[in-house]
Amino acid sequence: MSGPVIFGVRHLSPAASRHLRRVLEEVRPQLVLVEGPSDLNDQMKWLCHPDTAFPVAILAYTRAAPVRTLLYPFARYSPEMEAVLWCHAHDTPCRFMDLPSSVFLGLEEERARRWAEELARQEEQEEEEEPSAEEEEGPGDEEGDAGESVYRRLEIATGEDHDTFWERTFEQIEDTADYVSACHTFGRELRELSQDSPRRWSETLVREAYMKREIQAAVDSGVPPERIVCVCGAFHVAGLEENRPMTNEEFSRLPKADSTATLMPYSYYRLSSRSGYGAGNKAPAYFELLWDCFQSEEGLESLTYRYLVRLAASHRRAGNIVSSAEVIEAARLADTLRTIRGGRFPCLADLRDAAVTAMGHGSFAELSVAAADTEIGKRVGFLPEGVSRTSVQEDFYRQLKDLRLEKYRTLEVQRLDLDLRERLNVKSKEAALIDLRRSFFLHRLRVLNIHFAALLPSRQEGANWGEYWELRWTPEAEIEVVESSLLGDTIEGAAAFALRERADNSAGVAEAAAIFRDAFLCGMPAAAAHVLTALQGLSVDAAALTEVAAAAEQLSITVRYGDLRQFDSTPVLPLLRQLYLRACLTMEEACQCDAKAAPEVTTAMEKLNLLQLSHDFLEEERWLGLMETISDRDDLNTRCSGFAMAILLERGKADEELLAREVSRRLSPGVPADLGAGWFEGLAAKNRYALIARLSLWRHLGDYIAALDDIDFRRALVFLRRAFADFAPLEKQEIAENLGEVWGVDPRQAAEALTAALTEGEQKVLDELSDFDFDDI
Amino acid sequence: MSDSKNVQRLPAEELYQRELEALISAERDPIPTGWRMSPKSVLTYLTGNTIVKGVEITPKYMGSRRLVEIAIATLVTDRALLLIGEPGTAKSWLSEHLAAAVNGDSTKVVQGTAGTTEEQIRYSWNYAMLIARGPSMEAMVKTPVYRAMETGSIARVEEISRCASEVQDALISILSEKRLSVPELGLEVPAAKGFSVIATANTRDKGVNDMSAALKRRFNIVVLPTPADMETEMDIVRTRVAQLSSGLDLNAKKPDTDAVEKVVTIFRELRKGATLDGKQKLKTTSGVLSTAEAISLLTNAMALAGSFGGGTITDEDLAAALQGAVVKDEEQDKVCWKEYLENVMKKRGSAWLSLYRACRELGQG
Repeated sequence: MSGPVIFGVRHLSPAASRHLRRVLEEVRPQLVLVEGPSDLNDQMKWLCHPDTAFPVAILAYTRAAPVRTLLYPFARYSPEMEAVLWCHAHDTPCRFMDLPSSVFLGLEEERARRWAEELARQEEQEEEEEPSAEEEEGPGDEEGDAGESVYRRLEIATGEDHDTFWERTFEQIEDTADYVSACHTFGRELRELSQDSPRRWSETLVREAYMKREIQAAVDSGVPPERIVCVCGAFHVAGLEENRPMTNEEFSRLPKADSTATLMPYSYYRLSSRSGYGAGNKAPAYFELLWDCFQSEEGLESLTYRYLVRLAASHRRAGNIVSSAEVIEAARLADTLRTIRGGRFPCLADLRDAAVTAMGHGSFAELSVAAADTEIGKRVGFLPEGVSRTSVQEDFYRQLKDLRLEKYRTLEVQRLDLDLRERLNVKSKEAALIDLRRSFFLHRLRVLNIHFAALLPSRQEGANWGEYWELRWTPEAEIEVVESSLLGDTIEGAAAFALRERADNSAGVAEAAAIFRDAFLCGMPAAAAHVLTALQGLSVDAAALTEVAAAAEQLSITVRYGDLRQFDSTPVLPLLRQLYLRACLTMEEACQCDAKAAPEVTTAMEKLNLLQLSHDFLEEERWLGLMETISDRDDLNTRCSGFAMAILLERGKADEELLAREVSRRLSPGVPADLGAGWFEGLAAKNRYALIARLSLWRHLGDYIAALDDIDFRRALVFLRRAFADFAPLEKQEIAENLGEVWGVDPRQAAEALTAALTEGEQKVLDELSDFDFDDI
Repeated sequence: MSDSKNVQRLPAEELYQRELEALISAERDPIPTGWRMSPKSVLTYLTGNTIVKGVEITPKYMGSRRLVEIAIATLVTDRALLLIGEPGTAKSWLSEHLAAAVNGDSTKVVQGTAGTTEEQIRYSWNYAMLIARGPSMEAMVKTPVYRAMETGSIARVEEISRCASEVQDALISILSEKRLSVPELGLEVPAAKGFSVIATANTRDKGVNDMSAALKRRFNIVVLPTPADMETEMDIVRTRVAQLSSGLDLNAKKPDTDAVEKVVTIFRELRKGATLDGKQKLKTTSGVLSTAEAISLLTNAMALAGSFGGGTITDEDLAAALQGAVVKDEEQDKVCWKEYLENVMKKRGSAWLSLYRACRELGQG
């Protein structure tokens, strides 16, 4: 044989790794070429670093937004890894030979561009997710209809899912020569069947031409061809044997994206969940077990009991009882199942079905937790310090260590409760404020949209000094960290940039104030100052009352809790005053609104009331005067007037007499029912206990209802019903008792009348009510 | 065999004798001790759809092939097999055919009821003879389980969860020790190779005793699901109706696809509590509405049509049968059925209209 040795693999297949090692030992190559992005050879040395723990992935990404990414995940049992590690151990040169990642990304950009054009042409079509590069790997090099149908057809023909078929047919082959020929035949057949997806197919051809070109270059450089081993997906073997290499001219025509790459830790969970393609790896932990078996003396013989014992242990840990007898029965059953289908050893499907039958009482649900643990596993990769990482990643990990958050870098969700107050019983300032610094860090991640920590709602206890988080590390979070390297070199720098950018683009004061609060939570005074300037600029423009109130509320929080977060709030005060004044001046005008807008206005009133109460540098007189005016005026939305009255009542600025006068004025006969009831609704929105306790109020209400004629009564009924809708049952009962007293009704008789079944006449009246014409309401 | 024509229901091994014999004569794989054919042939017998030596093997179980494999593999490992499922998921059917294929004898059955006693599992006595001559082998009445142990074959225990727990417990020692002691005769009967038990249990029946963990541990448990999709269920219903009706001389035409589809659709929807497209939630009825019930419903409709109608199933026949199947004695079922008629069936369009009318008329009567 004169040509290079082409070894077809299935990605992430332990058997492929095992046979590949044998081939490498036999051929003793001078050069090994591996399917992988040829511009990322420099990442190899880190993959071989003794402290690197798999799974890890190479992440290539474009330097400009929108960031496109390309992932090459590797497990310890990946044949590609086996080749790289073998070469490392034997001082043999090893290179990636697939299209450079920049070209992959370039092709993707090109595709996205075409897609966008397509989209523009035929409007309203839902955006589809970009096919990720990961899915483009493998002997099953295609997805979509054509690819699916190949695997579907295979599944129908074998009556088993594709992974099981592969495992039974290929994974257990003992002889290397048999494996190679079986695998190559399979790849060739698959190739025949999947040429009907033109786009995928053309990409495959381009990739193969490039790989061929790399091989040719290696041969031309003087390495004896028979001493070159090429590792690629079995799918490509025929392509590499038959197709012609790409010319320089062709290569220069390929689109290239400005991109760079980094390494990142990966997880088994991600490896299993992102396996929508033919070379899927649904059970990484199981495959690792398989790999361990290959390494051990007993070989695959031991797989059955290794799997079952592990599963049983995990099931017991979850609090269930599994006897050894059941494990033994499962092992026997698995072996019998294997004989029915053929194959040398039970495969995962046999083992799992046997376990479900003998240990799980026939239901997979019982074993599902243990099965996930045994088959998918919780392994998370690790990269040693100093590995080629983006500076943001470095910073992220440095801070995790610094803030003692490393133990939260797991796939399980963990709670973290922070106490932002300074601890007085520790020596260094650093330690005293560790929770505050953690809070800053986590908020910065939040601002950067890195989904590592989620903020939980605060609890009653410690509402102002406690912060509650849920932390969970995922490879996605790692990717997000990498993506934020576009914004800066450190987490803080990137967060500052993100905040500044958001502030400069913000359209209104409320939005800007929310950004300001983010900056405050992140503990970044400089960024906060920048946002404040932007906020100031925006506040000059006319803004709606609700927005001003929301902005003032945000600023108020930073002033009130500034000390806790070591934040100097003096620069905020003038702006807060300014917003307060603005709100007061526009309030009356805002109260001239329709029923739909009224709730928003009353919310804003409530916010400003709280604002005034919590900051005594804001003039109280102005506020109370304003409330009185609104309460007095007849031409404003009555609900707003009612609410103003409620505020006055709450603050003790309205006495019994004033209330009585207002009630009879607002609820006098002749005032349209919706206006009267609207006013009452506004009044009842606040300090209810005080209202319920005032019998005189209910007397007035009783008189009012008595004075209504039939049509007005129906109208009023609708509004009053709404006003009382969000009262608690107990409150409603007390109101009913009050009214009962006013009307002189005996509570017991009333209860009897109310709980009695409706007569037909009453039912009719109620039905008529549902037909009530609400016209403008 | 001569009078087999007059038997209401033949055991599986006689009904499918030709198929079994063809499989046995074509056997090439190793046969476990006490079995008549290899596990693979048993699988072929049950899943069917092939021709062996010119004999067409009909499918017996149409659900998941994998479950059948697990069941057979369990019997190979001499473990007892417990089939669990809702009523009408072909538990007894599968158990009968397994025994027929493995031993050529599916008749060693203990029917579990609330009145089943321990003696019916182990052994009992011919009391006249016991009193006359004292304990002896002749005075002993052997149970199906006893006989299966002696001959190394499969005993079936139907509806095991209906037995009282002490009766269930009687099985424990038999399954773990694989021997039966007869203290009266100073006898220990060891189970011959090939002995095993197939038990069936119901999950949704009323008056069911829980099985003890000790007993459960002695079984490999296979849960039989309700048919996974519409197509499978329609296949099952159609084949079984054809088989049943040919045995019953119903004088009516077999229901057409349309009728089968309607019945299966209604059953599936009411069972699942949602329309097939999943868009509308429905109330579920108190009855189980199993596939078996759909089969008996259609044969029922055929009987109606054959005896009192024109020999073809009309929508009125279907409506009457449906009403009887869906509305059991509870008031609540009536409401469910009415709601189903008005909310779902009425809106299904012209194909369903006449069935809807027929159902509504019956409902008002």
